[in-house]
Amino acid sequence: MAIWIRDLRSEFRTRYAVNAIIMFAVTTLVAVSFSIGSFRIAEAEKPFLYAALLWIILVFSALSGLSRSFVKEQEAGTIDTLKLSARPQAVFLGKLFFNLTLLTALEVIIVPVFVLLMGYSIAHPFPFVGNVVIAGLGLGAGTTIVAAMIAQASTRGALFSALSFPLLLPLMITAIKGCEHASMGPDPIGWAEVRMAFSYLLIMVIVSLFLFPLIWEE
Amino acid sequence: MFTDISFELAPGDVLAVTGWNGSGKSTLMRIIAGLARPSSGSVSMFHRDELVPPESRRRFIGMVAPALSLYDELTALENMVFFCKVRGVQSRVEACRDMLQMVGLSEDAHKLTGRYSSGMKQRLKLAQALIHRPPLLLLDEPGTNLDSKGMEIVQDIITGQRRWGMTIVASNEKREVDYADRAINLSE
Repeated sequence: MAIWIRDLRSEFRTRYAVNAIIMFAVTTLVAVSFSIGSFRIAEAEKPFLYAALLWIILVFSALSGLSRSFVKEQEAGTIDTLKLSARPQAVFLGKLFFNLTLLTALEVIIVPVFVLLMGYSIAHPFPFVGNVVIAGLGLGAGTTIVAAMIAQASTRGALFSALSFPLLLPLMITAIKGCEHASMGPDPIGWAEVRMAFSYLLIMVIVSLFLFPLIWEE
Repeated sequence: MFTDISFELAPGDVLAVTGWNGSGKSTLMRIIAGLARPSSGSVSMFHRDELVPPESRRRFIGMVAPALSLYDELTALENMVFFCKVRGVQSRVEACRDMLQMVGLSEDAHKLTGRYSSGMKQRLKLAQALIHRPPLLLLDEPGTNLDSKGMEIVQDIITGQRRWGMTIVASNEKREVDYADRAINLSE
């Protein structure tokens, strides 16, 4: 809790990660909406293509900024002070909640704007929101543990994307399918994908809690 | 870097570690703190005659070193309260204010640490290391950037630490080495 609040306070004062994430998200969103728009896609292809575009924007925006929670500690020289003071699990949960807060803020801004700009019609809003929220939490959990792994490496940026991508791919495919089903009427709904994303989230958090002390003490 | 280093400390002891640049003073301090692993050998810590497991050692150690930084975007008081919370220290704000007063920073408690001078940052690091009353205090170059008043604070801290714990000072400064009862030289 203390680490989460400290990270939020620091972020509020420095805008270290928020600027990177929001700028990337807004730029790609505007580029996608102007180049593709709602009128160039056949009606039957819209549910899948919009879902894929939405998750490409969300995942790559997350990759542009979420590694910074740990990288910043390394660059500022505070990582050893934190190692000496806090339990590894407390550090991981603090950083996880911080990343989840950033992702929630990103989704709150980007998803409604995407829906409006693209004319994205959603047949089943609740499964759609469920997919966005739960897969978003999974995205936060996956990127947090990878961020911890790469924090002490010299080529952090490339390594973060390279390691995150295979880890996030199953979640991304599930989330795209879920949002596709939620936007298709009248039959497909998308709760099955919400359950899969929730399982991914649960597994990722439990495995990370066991793995993180080993990464942290190394 | 160094071999055949062996020593024991008891409560009240102050040990100085000296040696040329690159002789391994800071590395030895990091190994004792559990921030680095020795290529061979081990560090054992006992608390009330019981062996402290490595993962719990941090609770018993306070450390000041040039490589250990505090959060520039927080005020001094926020830094102190944060480290109190993560260390599980009770009566946080009062204890933090007392500690800041002890190192002469009470008037600048609400200033962002990033705006502190290097000497003020060093004082804040000393306060942060002491907040949980550690039985083992590791001071790596504690006089870095400190003025004469700051050096007196270091001396007071080491004198006070004798009452409840041990201190290891890594330095080549004569004044800092003189605080110790005995010294080991890593260059020999």
